[in-house]
Amino acid sequence: MAENGESSGPPRPSRGPPAAQGSAAAPAEPKIIKVTVKTPKEKEEFAVPENSSVQQFKEAISKRFKSQTDQLVLIFAGKILKDQDTLLQHGIHDGLTVHLVIKSQNRPQGQSTQPSNAAGTNTTSASTPRSNSTPISTNSNPFGLGSLGGLAGLSSLGLSSTNFSELQSQMQQQLMASPEMMIQIMENPFVQSMLSNPDLMRQLIMANPQMQQLIQRNPEISHLLNNPDIMRQTLEIARNPAMMQEMMRNQDLALSNLESIPGGYNALRRMYTDIQEPMLNAAQEQFGGNPFASVGNSSSSGEGTQPSRTENRDPLPNPWAPPPATQSPATTSTTTSPGSGSGNSSSSATGNTMAAANYVASIFSTPGMQSLLQQITENPQLIQNMLSAPYMRSMMQSLSQNPDLAAQMMLNSPLFTANPQLQEQMRPQLPAFLQQMQNPDTLSAMSNPRAMQALAGANPPQLPNPEVRFQQQLEQLNAMGFLNREANLQALIATGGDINAAIERLLGSQPS
Amino acid sequence: VAGTTGIRVKVPRNFRLLEELEEGQKGVGDGTVSWGLEDDEDMTLTRWTGMIIGPPRTIYENRIYSLKIECGPKYPEAPPFVRFVTKINMNGVNSSNGVVDPRAISVLAKWQNTYSIKVVLQELRRLMMSKENMKLPQPPEGQCYSN
Repeated sequence: MAENGESSGPPRPSRGPPAAQGSAAAPAEPKIIKVTVKTPKEKEEFAVPENSSVQQFKEAISKRFKSQTDQLVLIFAGKILKDQDTLLQHGIHDGLTVHLVIKSQNRPQGQSTQPSNAAGTNTTSASTPRSNSTPISTNSNPFGLGSLGGLAGLSSLGLSSTNFSELQSQMQQQLMASPEMMIQIMENPFVQSMLSNPDLMRQLIMANPQMQQLIQRNPEISHLLNNPDIMRQTLEIARNPAMMQEMMRNQDLALSNLESIPGGYNALRRMYTDIQEPMLNAAQEQFGGNPFASVGNSSSSGEGTQPSRTENRDPLPNPWAPPPATQSPATTSTTTSPGSGSGNSSSSATGNTMAAANYVASIFSTPGMQSLLQQITENPQLIQNMLSAPYMRSMMQSLSQNPDLAAQMMLNSPLFTANPQLQEQMRPQLPAFLQQMQNPDTLSAMSNPRAMQALAGANPPQLPNPEVRFQQQLEQLNAMGFLNREANLQALIATGGDINAAIERLLGSQPS
Repeated sequence: VAGTTGIRVKVPRNFRLLEELEEGQKGVGDGTVSWGLEDDEDMTLTRWTGMIIGPPRTIYENRIYSLKIECGPKYPEAPPFVRFVTKINMNGVNSSNGVVDPRAISVLAKWQNTYSIKVVLQELRRLMMSKENMKLPQPPEGQCYSN
């Protein structure tokens, strides 16, 4: 019964908690005992000789949980089990449970407190800052790259993935377990050339049925995938693990900055649930489910998070994409879509220059953005930080060097598609605009809250004949019961034709 | 064992503690807290050690916090004394010696005899996830209070 607490034998001379209740009887013959090892996510049973040391136990565990023994921390009855102890010493008998925590060398990444199998041992949640130490991060991050390496490798053999899903997952598991192997694969020129072929990558990605569903729901993703430039850049970054880490780090930093803004966390969360979650789900099915799935709600489960499973599709967050509150970034990515979030909000929040003043107003009027903007204008430092994040800068540079790409990204932004005239206006001004963005003066102007407010204020409707443009929306508003045509028009102009935002604006302007 | 019918039976202290010991060894719960006797030969079942695994997405993530719990003679009618061994920065925990202030932690302040060591540990872990605690800067990992 519950006699475990009492020791029946004579006190042992050993240090530490004396052991052997009950099994004082047969120390000679090692009985095999079954011990359950439990992590927050999983549970496994191990049969080990009862006199084995903790070190030996860990070795058995490390095989099953695919981690190194020095990453394992075993806890029993509130005590950490040290390697040189024995199971008996701690009173671990048949049928009892030991808790396992798998540490990662990456600091607070929450990496693994669970043994992940194919799911990978990664972290990052939006909240914790990232850090990467190389060996593990090559393991953890280009996690998905490993899988792609696997995929690419296999598909290059001309085999269809479905037949070999098991083989693949095994391979992935091995990859996860061994960073050296990962490094080798990444450096394999064949793999690299595979990865650098955007068409092939796109095919691979599209072949996944869940990804297809996702694409249907979120056409921006297909824009992304179909844009060879973006793909190529993504793949380049994906191929270079160091660069990827750098980017991820920056993105996470920006993200955590973003999160501290009152409106920001919600925006992020929304963004996550809209884009990231389905993507994670889609790309994760072979990896045992979306490790984030439970994180959002449950407290105790989710350790372990996931950064990129498939390649990081986020080299260039779209600075002109509408704010997360409405549609969300044209750049979707894995966990690192935080980057796009910050890109979005930084761009939309920082606004554009005079050329897109109208657009700015429409963005500003979205309530989410307004709170965000407020915070940002009160904190000019934040903008500076965001804009000076190295990757933002490099993104801007690459955009200015590649006007086509920039044009494409702009055009992809759904706001613009609703507004062809604005597109036309923007296009010739793009190069100039990009130059301006690069100009540090602009940056400092942007960080000056008054300048921002002035921008927001001086915002005349420039486009030809808004009445005509918004004819349809006006009718709709009318039908809904907003009879004040002038007010409707103003609202529509301010929101750039977005009916929902216009309605909110109209309702907001009426004191309750 | 504990009287769960309408009549509250007062379960003798040792029975309760033995039950909790068994639960601790069997790993009841989700694996994020653990507890057991500090000294397996402690016949009075007074001194316990506990362990809390820092919840994810907080600053405590991936850390293992060790605690000492003392169940006095009046336990379970009176709450146990709880003290962190691993250094932690958290509301309700004395930053110089790790003692958990019973007035600041609700389960200790409003203790009921149906509560247990597990409940206390889980509650502390839950508090780590609260907004006020989840981002507090922490001392470097692995440091312990000197007492």
